[in-house]
Amino acid sequence: MRATASATPTHTPVPKRSAFARTLPFWLLLPGLLIIAAIQLYPSLFTFYLSVQRIEPGTGRYVFRGLDNFARLLSTQQFQESLAHTVLFLGGYCAFTLACALGIALLLRQRVRLSPLYITLIFVPWVLSDVVAGVIWRLFVVPEYGLFSPFFANPDLFGGSRGISILTSPAAPSILGDLPFPPAPALIFLMLASAWKILPFTTLLILAALQTVPQEVLESGSIDGATGRQSFRYITLPLILPTLAVTLFNLTLGGINGVGMVFSLTGGGPGTATEVLSYLLYSIGFARLDFGLAAALSTLMSMLNLVLVVSTLRLTGVQED
Amino acid sequence: MATTVKSLTPSPFHLPKRARSVLLNLALILVCMLMLFPVFSTLVLSFKQQSDVRSLPPRLFPCNTATDTFDLAACRFFGEGYERVFLAKPSPNALLGFQITGRIFSTYLPNTVLYAFATAFFVTIISAMSAYVYSRYRFRGRRALMIALLVLAGVPVLTMLLALQQTANGIRRIIPGYEERIFMIIVYVGLELPFAIWVVKGFFDTIPKELEEAALIDGCSRFGALVRVVAPLATPGLMSIFLLAFVNVWNEFIVNYLLMSKQNLRGAMYGVFDFIAQSLSSYNALAAACVLVMVPVIVVFLFTRRVFFRAMVEGAIKG
Repeated sequence: MRATASATPTHTPVPKRSAFARTLPFWLLLPGLLIIAAIQLYPSLFTFYLSVQRIEPGTGRYVFRGLDNFARLLSTQQFQESLAHTVLFLGGYCAFTLACALGIALLLRQRVRLSPLYITLIFVPWVLSDVVAGVIWRLFVVPEYGLFSPFFANPDLFGGSRGISILTSPAAPSILGDLPFPPAPALIFLMLASAWKILPFTTLLILAALQTVPQEVLESGSIDGATGRQSFRYITLPLILPTLAVTLFNLTLGGINGVGMVFSLTGGGPGTATEVLSYLLYSIGFARLDFGLAAALSTLMSMLNLVLVVSTLRLTGVQED
Repeated sequence: MATTVKSLTPSPFHLPKRARSVLLNLALILVCMLMLFPVFSTLVLSFKQQSDVRSLPPRLFPCNTATDTFDLAACRFFGEGYERVFLAKPSPNALLGFQITGRIFSTYLPNTVLYAFATAFFVTIISAMSAYVYSRYRFRGRRALMIALLVLAGVPVLTMLLALQQTANGIRRIIPGYEERIFMIIVYVGLELPFAIWVVKGFFDTIPKELEEAALIDGCSRFGALVRVVAPLATPGLMSIFLLAFVNVWNEFIVNYLLMSKQNLRGAMYGVFDFIAQSLSSYNALAAACVLVMVPVIVVFLFTRRVFFRAMVEGAIKG
């Protein structure tokens, strides 16, 4: 990683440069590289390494066990269940967030005089922490005294009495055999709360993309007789499609990795109904202290995320400069 | 101008300009109210007294009279919830005559302030140094390094924590009595850096090279050019990365929770999390705790929103 100062313009009249000046880029890069290597790279690699090891009960030493951990993980019912929860959660979360964000962004693009004010107000939930957001939504549905508790506890609306709070009521019997569908009400509530938190960010991304759609194209479209809906379908949508895809990947990444709201809103419950993959990773690695299993799960999740990141890079086409 | 062109073509949704504008504004106001409602209701709840928290059926405003009609004059707002968070006890030695014994204020918030300021400071400086090199020099492996930064962003933070926790335990064993808060800050800096480097590089790319070259011709060193020319011009961008890192660390929970073995080194979000179990059914206190830890970031955001949006859009489009 030897840096050559080829970018230095040749006409720069610097007759003699000290050793420090010549190696300046290296010294500038060093602190960042060291810290990232220590805090992100090494721990990740160590965890991947752990995923093919197992601690010997007697000696406490690591023994190479191949894909044993992965086999163990895939065979547990807990993993299969939480994978299903994650897929259900992600599907609902991404679809709901994207649809709402697109709608709000389209409203905001209409040259409203107050739109900076609206954007600012809409953006407030984004600066809250997951924990606080989770508590706020939890307070809506605490047994009996939550603002929405009577609504969700209404037997006419939600078929029979199913517990006092939406966070403790069990799921309806599954209609798809092994798949936990329909999901427990708590999972849907988690979806709503998470969508509320991320919606501002998604809206801002889509709005930024909408503003790059050239006004002239839309105008010439409407001179040629395109209705509002047609110009959205045939001009705007194709132009913002890459951004929508990037946004979708962003949402999926956040949805897979985020764990704070599960902690403060549902704690994985009722039962294991809201135990998504990231929460399962927490409970295996930090509560049950089964490092090998947790490392295997980590590796699987990282691989999934890697696919998402690489797809995003492809779509945005990160340029050379 | 779009509307004047549109009026040439008859549309089933054609509305006069004024009516269209009113409808748009109404729709946007509705959206804002929906988005802000959870925050607002928490604020109201935090000022209720316990008997109103437990009113059945639940009411948003504690403003009902004895005959159950809404009356502004009957509104009852109290600081009961906040008292439970602060737990102020009279103390003759303290500056104001009382001492705050609620752990959120006495322990967790000061920790968070320290972590957030220190992390934001170091992230800004280190990311500016790295980003300058990525923006101005061409060298072999540069692109690979930049991509590697993004790829690392895809590894779940819990994955790193599995190993980092063991590291933390190891250091604690080897060096008894070392300052764990330093480790915490280094971890935060490491977690925030990759994204920050990308964003700051984007800002540096927009600063014309000619300005620096002029400084170099005038005898300024390369390092001097970075400190005296580029960094001042990029101040708004650097500020945005400072604020972003600050808010991220302020809001962070899981890393802090899992790496700090001692409770009194944990941050405000742990305080709120801990409070969930402590304040069973005294929901006004829980709401007050939420308000107290979220108000600082909301205020910071409202005063610096432009700076925020710049970093967000810059970072999101690039990465």
